Amino acid sequence: MSKVVEISPTTRHEGHSKLVLKVNDEGIVERGDWLSITPVRGVEKLAIGKTYEQVPKIASRVCGICPIAHTLAATEAMEASMGVEIPEDAYLLRIILQCANRLHSHALHDILALPDMYLPGTDSKINPFSPAEPVRSVAKRIQTLRMIGQTVGEIAGGEAVHPSNPRVGGMYTNITPRARTKIYDLAKQALPLAREQMEFMIAIFENYAKRDWAEMCGREVAIPKDLGFHQQGYMAVDPCYGSSSLDEHPTWDPARWIEVRPWDWYMGEEDITLEDPAYPIGGTTKAGAKAWPQMQACTGVPLYDGQPVEVGPRARLATYRNYDRKGAIGQNIAREMEYMDSVYKMIEATDALNASGKVVADVIPQGDGSFGWAANEAPRGADIHLAKVRDGKVEWFSMLVPTTWNFPTCSRALIGAPWELAEVIVRAYDPCVSCATHMIVLDEDNRLVAQKLLE
Amino acid sequence: MEFLGKYKAVYKAKAGCEDILSKAQDGGIVTAMFAYALEAGIIDGAIVAGPGKEPYKPEPMIATTVEELFAARGTKYSISPNMSLIKEATRSYGLDKVGIVGTPCQIQAVRKAQLYPIGLRDVPDKIALVLGIFCMENFPYQGLYQMVEDHCATKIDNVTKMDIGKGKFSVYTERGINAQIPLKVTHKYEQPGCHVCLDYVANLADVSTGSVGTPDGWSTVFVRSATGEATFNKAVEAGWIVAESMDGVKPGLELVTKLATEKITKNQKYLEHRKHAEHAALKPLRNPYI
Repeated sequence: MSKVVEISPTTRHEGHSKLVLKVNDEGIVERGDWLSITPVRGVEKLAIGKTYEQVPKIASRVCGICPIAHTLAATEAMEASMGVEIPEDAYLLRIILQCANRLHSHALHDILALPDMYLPGTDSKINPFSPAEPVRSVAKRIQTLRMIGQTVGEIAGGEAVHPSNPRVGGMYTNITPRARTKIYDLAKQALPLAREQMEFMIAIFENYAKRDWAEMCGREVAIPKDLGFHQQGYMAVDPCYGSSSLDEHPTWDPARWIEVRPWDWYMGEEDITLEDPAYPIGGTTKAGAKAWPQMQACTGVPLYDGQPVEVGPRARLATYRNYDRKGAIGQNIAREMEYMDSVYKMIEATDALNASGKVVADVIPQGDGSFGWAANEAPRGADIHLAKVRDGKVEWFSMLVPTTWNFPTCSRALIGAPWELAEVIVRAYDPCVSCATHMIVLDEDNRLVAQKLLE
Repeated sequence: MEFLGKYKAVYKAKAGCEDILSKAQDGGIVTAMFAYALEAGIIDGAIVAGPGKEPYKPEPMIATTVEELFAARGTKYSISPNMSLIKEATRSYGLDKVGIVGTPCQIQAVRKAQLYPIGLRDVPDKIALVLGIFCMENFPYQGLYQMVEDHCATKIDNVTKMDIGKGKFSVYTERGINAQIPLKVTHKYEQPGCHVCLDYVANLADVSTGSVGTPDGWSTVFVRSATGEATFNKAVEAGWIVAESMDGVKPGLELVTKLATEKITKNQKYLEHRKHAEHAALKPLRNPYI
């Protein structure tokens, strides 16, 4: 006889989401629904009728963790629709910005993931704010890495949160030679720190993979060897930066994408029959309450080739580097492995940047309403923005953000895990939920459907 | 000295280097201070009123070398929105220690930005040296243009220096002083915004300076903050600035006080008038002295 348990809200990630889990008598998840309950932002509707300059700025406001990814994806979606080619130096500045974003975001994730993990050789969980070593120096290292990421973002992007420098057609201003040197120095400073951080975190995750149990709700919960495994595919468009419909060989295909409603995907109304007051932060939802995932979910469910796919660091490494480690631990390790790439890429782009080169395209056509998309490999995966621009105004705009892709995939990865560890799996996706709230408009047959959940 | 703000010391000073003095308005204090601070690493760039596209139309610029600084010597009696670059200086210019010069109102903006850095993330702690200049009023460029071209009958392209002093607005060309008009004539060209200002000597700057009170070729310098004191004293030691005591200098602080009192009481009256004005746009402003 299966029972239903609800963890609401889930913690230590961006945004507001919850888990509704059907578990068997042993507490193993038989069906897991992870859904966003962040209110809809409405950015896609706000964008309609605005100028192409405004929309990327509005789009970046959807979230404060990866606004750089949203700015770049939205800007490039406009460029893709209008057919703008940006100068080389603007592209390099965007790459620097992209790497800065990834560096600080991955470092932030380490803080969020560490409390689930154990100090190797002990049975004590890590408190990243503990004043004791070795945790103290790790926390400081994370802060330094984040400082570097944010400062580089400020220099190249004008602002670390919601960058002001990117514009349709390139960038507003190039940086000065002095600023270029500063980025170079900061990246050089980050290099050894990133390597140490990567090695430390991988050791911590490997240690967790070897453990038999984890302490949850005051008891020992067995860690399955296939924690977070799933059979879904991976989707990545580039190892570092992105792709767009202007590319000679685009690496994403809008024809393979459809989006269905949570109504058709998630569980119906369920009575909560299992509760555990010992679960961290106030216990799980009380038994007797009701959960209605298909009604409460605020995301669409995007499918690629008719299936949910995983996006993110592991998808990038699996697609471009033959990485084959599965599960929650595999995903965390893949994220750590991206540290070095983001710093090296930053150095490379800074090297190649001509600080006196032009950064705005000479000609910016105003758009004829044709469809364009741009995918940006945000820290959490492919962030795809789609747009139609006509005569300088945005006619249609849609955002397909990383965690939207990951919601249904992660829900499948929950199956077979003890419910107490469901959040560990969720956190391995480094979810960023607030931008993922999204009302859908198409059903499986690509027909426009009424937005029943808004009625 | 209510209207002169708080200060640690006041000097009669001028730049110690002929290059600065040759094109400086008076004592060349701002150029000398920034040049010293740049050389000494106290700042790594300064926001100054650089030469614009049209003659005597200043445009804010970020000087990171002494040469660039020299291009901005001399007063341009028109508006240069220096604060507009304060954020960019720490962004695409990559500066960590920014110097800025401005009129009293701009210095108030700097301090306000440091207090409430809305939209200025990571900027306040990067402002390293704030220099204020005495200011009675400012002119929009069109107003200045008309004063020079019409009232002084001088082509603005030929002007080598403009000066306000001894109750007159003077225009110099290569042939020497070309025209002088009484200040009274210029009043109608002033910015209306200047009439609500209650600050004459940049009370909130680290160091404020201006020509009033000292003989020609010298400047009056108020050293106000600890940063300002340290920088000014080091600049004097290093020979960038020659400083002498204000004691016995004619017309001295008396004139500064007189002009400050004149400006502030006049503007207070105007504020009082606005308090009772019917138009909502004329609502009174906050008094910076409380």
